[in-house]
Amino acid sequence: MAQNIPADLKYTKDHEWTKVEGDTVIIGITDFAQSALGDIVFVELPEIGKTLNAHQTFGVVESIKSVSDLYSPISGTVVEVNSGLQDTPELCNAEPYGSAWMIKVKLSNTSEMSALLSANDYQNFLSTL
Amino acid sequence: MTILKTSLHEEHLLLNAKMAPFAGFDMPLQYSSVKEEVQAVRSFAGVFDVGHMGEFLVEGPDAISFVDYIITNDFKNAELLKAVYSPLCREDGTIIDDLIAYKLSEVKVLICVNASNIKKDWDWISSKKSQFNCTLKNQSDDFSLLAIQGPESEKILKEVGLLKSVEFPYYSILESTFEDQNIIIARTGYTGEDGFEIFSSHQFAKFLWKKLLSLGVKPCGLASRDVLRLEVCYPLYGHELNDQVTPLDAGLLWTVKLAKNEFIGKAALLDYKPRYQLVKLSLDRGIPREGYDVLDEQLNLIGKVTSGTMSVVTGKGIAMALIEKDKNPKDKKYIINIRNTNYPAHFHSKAFITGGHK
Repeated sequence: MAQNIPADLKYTKDHEWTKVEGDTVIIGITDFAQSALGDIVFVELPEIGKTLNAHQTFGVVESIKSVSDLYSPISGTVVEVNSGLQDTPELCNAEPYGSAWMIKVKLSNTSEMSALLSANDYQNFLSTL
Repeated sequence: MTILKTSLHEEHLLLNAKMAPFAGFDMPLQYSSVKEEVQAVRSFAGVFDVGHMGEFLVEGPDAISFVDYIITNDFKNAELLKAVYSPLCREDGTIIDDLIAYKLSEVKVLICVNASNIKKDWDWISSKKSQFNCTLKNQSDDFSLLAIQGPESEKILKEVGLLKSVEFPYYSILESTFEDQNIIIARTGYTGEDGFEIFSSHQFAKFLWKKLLSLGVKPCGLASRDVLRLEVCYPLYGHELNDQVTPLDAGLLWTVKLAKNEFIGKAALLDYKPRYQLVKLSLDRGIPREGYDVLDEQLNLIGKVTSGTMSVVTGKGIAMALIEKDKNPKDKKYIINIRNTNYPAHFHSKAFITGGHK
């Protein structure tokens, strides 16, 4: 299955994407993740101000049949939450890299970014699944 | 363990279905989207490969009295060519499985059981047969089973030439031949919609599957089947029903005919005081899932969700839950705990939606 993996983003093996904007990082789930989950019907996100460690659960995304945890790719503080996803979780299927971004996190440790996968690495990782 | 495959396994792969193991079989979970599959069944027609289910054939002079003896529902007085849904219970009233028995003739009964329970049911039923003059055959490998479900099912089967314009009420059956193939068509299903289940040879099932798809019938997987049955509150073995509960715990009083002659479990069920009550709950926000705690308003743990999902039709989280009878709140105020947050639930006395079956 062909996957949409934008070259300008960084990825995790938990199928999250990140985009750096100044000292904050935008986080969402990848096209592969939304396609594997199927119809997304519920998204639960953290409160603004929550402190996250890398690999910590920051929320939940549910399809009709399944519940999946969302893992923070990096450590930091949640500064913005896409609360619109509460009412329109289906955006996660339609625009996983666009309007369905999930949270923005102010980085506490910029060096963690180097541990994330490039688009190429993520593509290679997907081919091993 | 070998992975079992239904006769249509290759067709599922050709359609790029998402496959998953179920009851030892590699089964299609979904083809397109669960939502679209549910909507197709509610508004038009969908087809399910349920060839994994088990079929036992009981034949002989005592076939009907034997089936009547092993199930709790009344089979003896059912008319010829009728289908009867029933639990299959042990002497102590606990449920081994739930099944549909089809009265094909005065001397021939077809029993359809859950795939996950084929061996358990077979061992149980064969062990109870000695006093009865009938034979028992496990034909689970011989039959394919397709379920075509949805308001347009009748019209489509007529178009295929499988149904003539005859009286064919809900929960009845007919034996038929189609191009020299013996088939059994039952107006039964697990979706709440009008529809048919067709027992046939594997060869015929492949033909029918392709034919139905060519007529625009949507292939549907186990995921949408589960949502469909939950929206109309049909119980599922392993969830609402299990080895520990009796039909009287699980809302199946209507299937236990205590007035009929001797049947397995009768003595126990006559005296039985239910320990559980099966309730239907919905949420305004959040999705209940199997295993979640159900609390009363004072936050006492009173039961567990047995099945839960997002309803495609209502757009709400819906659940069935087994509640301990002596803790069941009189005010019908329930709370479902999801990831340590308490969500107030609505109690429903009826199913979440009304299916359109005849």
